[in-house]
Amino acid sequence: MTPSARPARALALRCSRVSGQGHLPSSFSIIELALSAYAVMRHDPAAPHWPERDIFVLSKGHAALGYYSVLAQLGYFPAEAVEQFGAYRSTFGCHPDRFKVPGVEASCGSLGHGIGIAAGMALAMQLRGSTRRVFVLIGDGEANEGSVWEAVMVAADRRLSNLTILYDHNRSQVRCLQIPNPAERFAAFGCATTEVNGHDESAIIAALKKPADTVQVVVGRTVKGYGCPSLEEHFFEWHRKSPSPELYAELVSELHAKTI
Amino acid sequence: MTELAETDERVVLVFGDISVFLFEPFTRRFPARFLNLGICENTLISVAAGLASQGYIPFVHTIAPFVTERCLEQIKLDVGYNGFPINIVTCGATYDYAWDGPTHQAIADIGALRLLPGIEIVQPGTREETDQLIRTRYASGTPTYFRLSDHPHGASHAVEFGRGNVVRDVGGPVTVVTAGPILANVLPAVEALPVNVLYYSTIKPFDDELLKRYAHTRLVVVHDATGLFEQVCEHAAGPVTRIGLPDRFVSCYGTIQDVRREVGLDSEHIRQEVTAVLHGTATQTGRPRVSPPHGSAAHVKVA
Repeated sequence: MTPSARPARALALRCSRVSGQGHLPSSFSIIELALSAYAVMRHDPAAPHWPERDIFVLSKGHAALGYYSVLAQLGYFPAEAVEQFGAYRSTFGCHPDRFKVPGVEASCGSLGHGIGIAAGMALAMQLRGSTRRVFVLIGDGEANEGSVWEAVMVAADRRLSNLTILYDHNRSQVRCLQIPNPAERFAAFGCATTEVNGHDESAIIAALKKPADTVQVVVGRTVKGYGCPSLEEHFFEWHRKSPSPELYAELVSELHAKTI
Repeated sequence: MTELAETDERVVLVFGDISVFLFEPFTRRFPARFLNLGICENTLISVAAGLASQGYIPFVHTIAPFVTERCLEQIKLDVGYNGFPINIVTCGATYDYAWDGPTHQAIADIGALRLLPGIEIVQPGTREETDQLIRTRYASGTPTYFRLSDHPHGASHAVEFGRGNVVRDVGGPVTVVTAGPILANVLPAVEALPVNVLYYSTIKPFDDELLKRYAHTRLVVVHDATGLFEQVCEHAAGPVTRIGLPDRFVSCYGTIQDVRREVGLDSEHIRQEVTAVLHGTATQTGRPRVSPPHGSAAHVKVA
């Protein structure tokens, strides 16, 4: 694990421990994909509504805790604020609310919605001749939804080269509808597709910087719970479970022992 | 629409490959702002929400049931919860495509959309009402559903967004509350009866003040859709009678007049029902009226 990806996971663990909420395995699989997107995006944590900013949409909203942790690490808000995760009247719900959380551009939770909204945002920028870009992070479970593929078809048809889909291929669907070859499918839909190790920031960033004349898809091969072997091995059990004080100590220890 | 687009560069059309030929002047004048995205209603709504998030004012257009009942969640979340205001303008109201059967009938659209927070619902009954209401509300900053029909009621009265109209006030003991094109069948039905008629071109927000003025009368909702009866019941103090859609799929085909007759929304049947209310024999609030038998020989057309 690259050093930059550890603090976000540590914060997510702490907030899950404090709040008793959160989808840890899913949150852990997106950390490098989200950090890499922000590494190439034009954005200013001090001015979340800067008109020239690029946009990031977390379509798989249940990974909110991981996303908040990334945004906190980037400076959008203090890390301690996220400890209110899921609490009554908290800014930080278990799915992100764009009216509450600085940096959140679309409120997502039900799967298969954010990608269509992101396509519309990119289409708006294309119509204006703007150079702004839109990044949308979707999951492989989410790609069971037909609306994902509708949006991909429309985006490819419109040759939205300013739209990048980050595909979190964390194999969450091993017990039901798997999509074993997502890169081929996106390519068949007309996207410019690259497949990388979804926990290797330099590889993801290189893929994001590739020029493309249509929708770009970066399929990240990821691991649910990446960073803590206990989460990786038992991701179904941990889907929406928060650690007890004892387990928290174990997970922190695992996280700091992890090397890429 | 071309006129609006001339004066407001935020206007874009998001189409589901319906009515395209009708918009040739627009497509010629503003080809880039005419987005015929394909037959993918869920995505029409989501993409329009994304366009709205960046300052555009999208008009999503296709056939009513497909872009409302099919993608209720996209309207609820991408548009409503996210606060990305769009306009949804539909054709194919209720039984407009009678010959196509239940797959093309919009029966739950208004009833379902009225339950979503913050969404305006407009049901104009004529071309003039449509023109007036769209110009008034297209840039309201609030999502608006404009439910159009190609069977106008033909009556003429000035409408205002959010206000109902008193179409007939004879000081009668019964008041019919109606909306949209079915007014065409209501007016002849009550012609010889001591019945007042209120007409709502906006279903939500609901003009409660107007209804209150007739609270002392017995209310009868006549509507060839869902939603108005529920609005009236929520605001009425007393019992309300419903003359509306049956609790069954209507698969008799034919013309809109055939289907309206089949379900008892023709003038003669409305007259009988309202007369029964006048005589105090009608059913009470919320109880669906018994409809004529499904597929009776008189209404089954065999080629």
